[in-house]
Amino acid sequence: MDRLPDLRLNLALAALLAVLALASLTVGPAPLSPRAILAALAGSDDVAGLIVREIRLPRTLLALAIGAALGLSGAALQGLVRNPLAEPALFGAPQAAAAAASFVIAFGFFPATSFAVPLAAIGGALVSIGGLVAIAGRRASLTVTLLAGLALASFAGAATALALNLAPNPFAAIEVAFWLLGSLQDRSAEHVTLAVPFLAAGCALMAANARAFRALTLGEDAAASLGVNIDAVRLRVVIGVALGVGAAVAVAGAIGFVGLVAPHLVRRAVGSDPARVLLPGALAGATLLLAADIAVRLVPGPVEIKLGVVTALIGVPFFLVMIFAERRALEGAPS
Amino acid sequence: MTMLRAEKLSVVLRGRAVVDDAELTLQPGVLTALVGPNGAGKTTLMRALAGLIPASSGRIVLKDRPLHDFTPRERARSIAYLPQGNVFHWPLDVAAVVALGRHPHADPFAPLSGTDRAAVAHALAATQTEELAERPVTTLSGGERARVALARVLATEADILFADEPTAALDPRHQLVVMELLRGIARRGGAVLAIVHDLPLAARFSDRVVVMQRGRIVADAPPREALDDARLAAVFGIVAARVEAGGEVPVPLPLRPV
Repeated sequence: MDRLPDLRLNLALAALLAVLALASLTVGPAPLSPRAILAALAGSDDVAGLIVREIRLPRTLLALAIGAALGLSGAALQGLVRNPLAEPALFGAPQAAAAAASFVIAFGFFPATSFAVPLAAIGGALVSIGGLVAIAGRRASLTVTLLAGLALASFAGAATALALNLAPNPFAAIEVAFWLLGSLQDRSAEHVTLAVPFLAAGCALMAANARAFRALTLGEDAAASLGVNIDAVRLRVVIGVALGVGAAVAVAGAIGFVGLVAPHLVRRAVGSDPARVLLPGALAGATLLLAADIAVRLVPGPVEIKLGVVTALIGVPFFLVMIFAERRALEGAPS
Repeated sequence: MTMLRAEKLSVVLRGRAVVDDAELTLQPGVLTALVGPNGAGKTTLMRALAGLIPASSGRIVLKDRPLHDFTPRERARSIAYLPQGNVFHWPLDVAAVVALGRHPHADPFAPLSGTDRAAVAHALAATQTEELAERPVTTLSGGERARVALARVLATEADILFADEPTAALDPRHQLVVMELLRGIARRGGAVLAIVHDLPLAARFSDRVVVMQRGRIVADAPPREALDDARLAAVFGIVAARVEAGGEVPVPLPLRPV
């Protein structure tokens, strides 16, 4: 119950984030000194100011906000289903969000920066996570939940393929395909205004369940007997994750596994408390995504490696290691 | 004074009356054992009494007010519920687990108050789990977990305690420890209802035994009367020997199936 180590952990993560944010503003084709960056942030009127404020700042802000929302989504889902292996991407949420947004983009109903894209993505994520929680039911094991997630993710993949298949012209198809890989390249202030309100609302909904997640350590019946309204918690998590993941996908494409890795890195430092893991989990998510987004810009080559590709390349082996570590508990788990 | 009263309570699950027309009264200071064969409806009755599942018909009155008039938080301050199995999904330390018992009292936006901390300390002391306070709960033995689980419900300081098979899967010593703790809670004025499969334990420790069979309450009496030979044969299908257990009433020891 000691709050002091938590404060230290959160401050350390925030400090790391600040350093990475400055680094993120520094990295790019145009070499700019830290002083020029600070001047640009203060509103300098030169090319440096333009580059920093119009190109690098939106990218940095989006990495921070999306990373935090994805880290928190993972921690919240883990709190709800009481298992450290829960992650939105394993439940089909980003895939469904991407499928819904692909249709909107491929058929050019709306420009890619209209609110229709995040709304479609949020709707897709909502259907998949809501469907999953409904199918898996009250007392579902992680096995049932993951199988249902696999089915939903596969269906969403097929729907995305259909959107590409039916795309009216190759340019639309290429646009969708690139965006599906997940990237923060060339994002503007418009994307920030598009995503951040939804991300913030989703984070608020997820964070509101902190004490309920802790009570759920004892199982649903015991938590309900302690006065927790389980149905309300489930609804808040479903909508919160849908808002967070949907808005993230809408502007950055599918970026998976941040929600798995980030909470895991800080869990031991907070005594495995599913309530205390929420804030550091979000900060760690922001740190990871920002670091990954700096890394893709530093790797030399003719094309930038996509952010979603990097998080999956790191996240999936991480997932396998976690399964390996948890396999005894998983085999012993009631199905 | 009556703590909790169920009147003509029925719970229908998937078209079947799992609890059928149950009448039950829980008094302060009384440890009641709820016994019956597997599938008799004991857990369902207990969950309905705890307000965790709705009654299909009938009503439950908690301290002169219908149970469904209570907010979940109010209800949680009066009724503590210990489910089967002592499951802990995260390796929280024992002190944090016991503090969960304060959930219905604690201010959601403040750390634990002095009253909360005192209740937690008292619950740890009563269950002799103080020396485990810093340990992750998932590293404990079954007996230690059972004591921690009891400490958690004790910390709530509710007037009514429901415990679903609190002695299941425990070694003989811990079965006695748990039953003594439950009796101690009753002696201090609590109304305790415990589902117990072990008939000798039920008979030795409880003041009253409620017997369920196929959803109905077929006996509600002191142990000697509720667990007489005819009922053991009719409800459990067993023949029991009567064993003197330390000067108390003879205790039924299951001998063989009828």
